[in-house]
Parts: sequence; C-alpha cells; structure tokens
Amino acid sequence: MKKECSSVSKLLEKYFDQEVTHAERSLVEGHLPDCPSCRDVLRSMERLRNFIRTPVEEAVEKEDLPWVWQKIERNIQLEEKRPWWEPVREWLDITPVLKKKVLIPVAVAAVVLILIMAPFLFEKTSSYPDPSVVEYVESETYNVMVYELETPQVTVIWLFEGPEQELSTS
Amino acid sequence: MNYDEAKAISRCQQGDQDALKEIFDQYQKKVYGIAYGVVRHREEALDIVQEVFIKLFRSIKNFKGKSHFYTYLYRMTMNTAIDHTRKMKRQPPPNREEDGEFQISANPEERPDRVLAHKELEEKVKWAMNQLSPDQKAALVFREVEGLSYQEIAEAMGCSIGTVMSRLHYGRKRVQELLRDYVLGER
Amino acid sequence: MRRKASFFVILILLSSPLFGAVAFAQVQIRVRVMEASNVGSGFDSSLRDLHDQLGSLFSFSSYRILKDETVSLSLNQSVSLPIPSERSLELTLINQLRVAAEVRVKISRAGRDVLTTLVRLAPGRSVSIGGPKHGESTVIVALSRL
Repeated sequence: MKKECSSVSKLLEKYFDQEVTHAERSLVEGHLPDCPSCRDVLRSMERLRNFIRTPVEEAVEKEDLPWVWQKIERNIQLEEKRPWWEPVREWLDITPVLKKKVLIPVAVAAVVLILIMAPFLFEKTSSYPDPSVVEYVESETYNVMVYELETPQVTVIWLFEGPEQELSTS
Repeated sequence: MNYDEAKAISRCQQGDQDALKEIFDQYQKKVYGIAYGVVRHREEALDIVQEVFIKLFRSIKNFKGKSHFYTYLYRMTMNTAIDHTRKMKRQPPPNREEDGEFQISANPEERPDRVLAHKELEEKVKWAMNQLSPDQKAALVFREVEGLSYQEIAEAMGCSIGTVMSRLHYGRKRVQELLRDYVLGER
Repeated sequence: MRRKASFFVILILLSSPLFGAVAFAQVQIRVRVMEASNVGSGFDSSLRDLHDQLGSLFSFSSYRILKDETVSLSLNQSVSLPIPSERSLELTLINQLRVAAEVRVKISRAGRDVLTTLVRLAPGRSVSIGGPKHGESTVIVALSRL
C-alpha cells in the first residue's frame, strides 16, 4: 500500500490537471478509494484552485468590457498622431542590418569610420604625465624660472626683468 | 457574426481597426481573466486589457503563425500583467483591522461577517500569489484560471512541459503553505 | 534597399559631429591680470581661488585684479590682450588634446618678444606668468581653462 501510495502521490498533480495517460489514470483511480491521505491531497488542490479561480470568475462575470474598447480605439487614434521621433525610432530599427546581405557593407563602413577616427582615438599623449605643464619657455632678454607644485596644483613662470630684481618669495 | 481568426489577423496586420475589434470581442474576457488573475485588482486589470490590445495592434505584424494566436495573445497579456506587478511592492498579509474600505454587497441576504471573510480571503490569496516568482504565478494563472493544458502553457510561456510541471508544482506548494489554514479547511 | 541606404546616410550624419567637434574645437580660457605688491594689503575677491596657490609661492601683501576676461581660442588662431605697461599678451591654441589644450603664450613689449612659452591648460590647474614690472607692482597673469 505504502509503495503504491508513494508512486501514486507523484501522479496526483497530473491526475488533478487531467494530464495522465490512460494507464496512469487507472492506477490513481484504483488507489484513491483506499487512501484518505491521497484523497486529502486532491481536496487541498481543489480548494486551492477554487481560491485562485473563483474571484477571477466573479470579476469577469460582473465586468462589462465593451466600454474598454472605446478607450482602446481612442488611444490608437491618439497613437496615430505619434511624436515625430517615434517613426524615426522604429525606422532606425537595425534588425535588418543583422541580415547577411547588409552585414558586409556595414562592416566596411565601420572599418572606414575607424580608420578616419584612429588619429583622434589614438592620439599621441605628451611625454609629461601631468595634464598641465610647461612644454617650453623662451626669453631672449630675461631670466625665466618655472615653479611647479603638486599641492596646491600650481605652475608659475617667473620672468626676471633685471639682474637686480629680487623675487618676494615665502 | 462568424469569427474567422485567420482573416481577422490578416486584416489587423494591414491596420484594420475593425479587425482588432473582432479580436477584442473574441478574447476580451480571457485577457481580462488573465490580467485579473495576476493583479487581482479591477482597475489595474482593465488598464492591462487596454494596454494589451493597443500593443497587439502595434505588434501583430510580428505574428508569423508559428504558434497558436491565442497563446501569442496570452503571453502578451501575461507579460504586460507581470510588468504591472513588478511596480507593486510586496505587501504583508493584511489583517482585518488594517483592511481599508470594502463594499458591502447590495444583497441584504449577504451577512456582513461572510462578506468580510470573503474579502479577507481574497486579499490573502492576492498576497500569497504575489509571493511567487513571475513564472510560477504565470503557470498557476494559466492552469487554474484559464484551464490551459500543459502543452498550451508551454507554448504560451515558451518553455518545455517539464518546466511547466515544475513551476506548477512549486507554485502550488508555496501558495498552499502560505494559505495553510484556508486550504486545510480550518477557516 | 532604401532602408539600407538610409542607414548609411544616418551613420555618416551621426558621425559628422565627431569630426566637427574635433576640427572646430574652441577652448575657453579665463585670463586674469593682476598686480601684486607689498604696498597696502588685500586680496581681490575674484582671485579667491588662486589665494592658496599664490600664497604658497609669494608673500606679496596685496593682489589687485586689473583685468578678468574669458577668451575663446580656435585652433591656430591668436587672441591678443593689452596688459600693463605697454605690453601685449598673445594666446594661440596650438593643439587640442583629450584633456588639455596646448596654448602658446607670448608676452611682448614695444614689438619685441619678451617671453614665449607653450603650456598645457587643463581644467582644475592654472598657470601663472609673472614678473613684468608695473610701477611698484609686479604683473601676474593667471590663465585657467574653463
């Protein structure tokens, strides 16, 4: 009995959902009269189904849906006056691009774009790691000194206009 | 008027709104039933019905006839309804004291305590269903509310029959645990 | 077929701003000309952000703003500003890097180049050029990229 119960209990859900084969149905229906436990399981499933289904059936029964159609119709008409970007967005749908015939020209275009953009993408960076530095300073007439501090971030180029000039420094 | 689905679909794909109306007339209750089964809220379910048929009109060109039309429509309905529930927060099971307003039946024979108990159960079922994963909820609604077969559910959900059975099994198990007192008949 | 052609046209049109953005880059440079001295005391409020920088290097007691302008530099185009004591400040955008702008700065007086320097200006770091005398004061030009 126990052995039969364990094999039948695995079929109870399928039986409840009427998805069993003919042979399986016979097995379950042959077992049920002698097994209160399996009968309880089926009863619980039936109760659960009613809890889930009944409120929905009641709601559908009392709802008058044709007025909903008027709202749908109105919305579709409003949609037909869609914002200008909507058709553009749909039109730019690139699904066709993934088709073979278009893929090669697209790939070619992409390569051309990369070749054009490469000088900008891979531009030479300065040998100086700092973003703001003095590349060079020239003065034919005067002495020049460059002060660069990290904290605070300051670069000062100082021009000494005469040999006797003293810089007021801290 | 006889409903010819193939012709209605074809005309709808050409942008014929009358064809959409035919489809609406044919499926409105089913779509509402699925929507209500998921959200358990009248106004939300009605919004979902609207949204589904508007979406259908926009996307019916994509329907190639590889599956049954009704499973295509049910899948659209379920996805739309699930999206709605994602915006809702998980709620604790409401107690009677916390219940907001409820409508007393106009039927004078309806006892208030019965109406209250009914309302409480509805809220509890709604809460319990909301604790399921979207796939489990969808499988349960398709099976328990719409009575779809495992094959039909598999087609609507885009999965195997084995997966449908698993989702049903664990969905039922979870809801039974959450509604234990009611399912065992103690309430 | 038409959609294919349109896609390429749109691709090219969409990428053209990239070319435009790089080719016709304009850089905004804030030029503040101040006179620093030990006569009197005070720090002009418009120089507040430079207080720490200048104070860390110099001990002038007074910093007074003479000119505060924003100039727009286009590639290889020069902008000249007069600065005290008949000098001229010329800024030329030489190169536009990803982060920094390379600007050539020339100070000239009476038609003669006094100083030429190439600096990289990036947001957040200023370059100050000082030293030219203006009476009892010293002229300092602070350049910062906006």
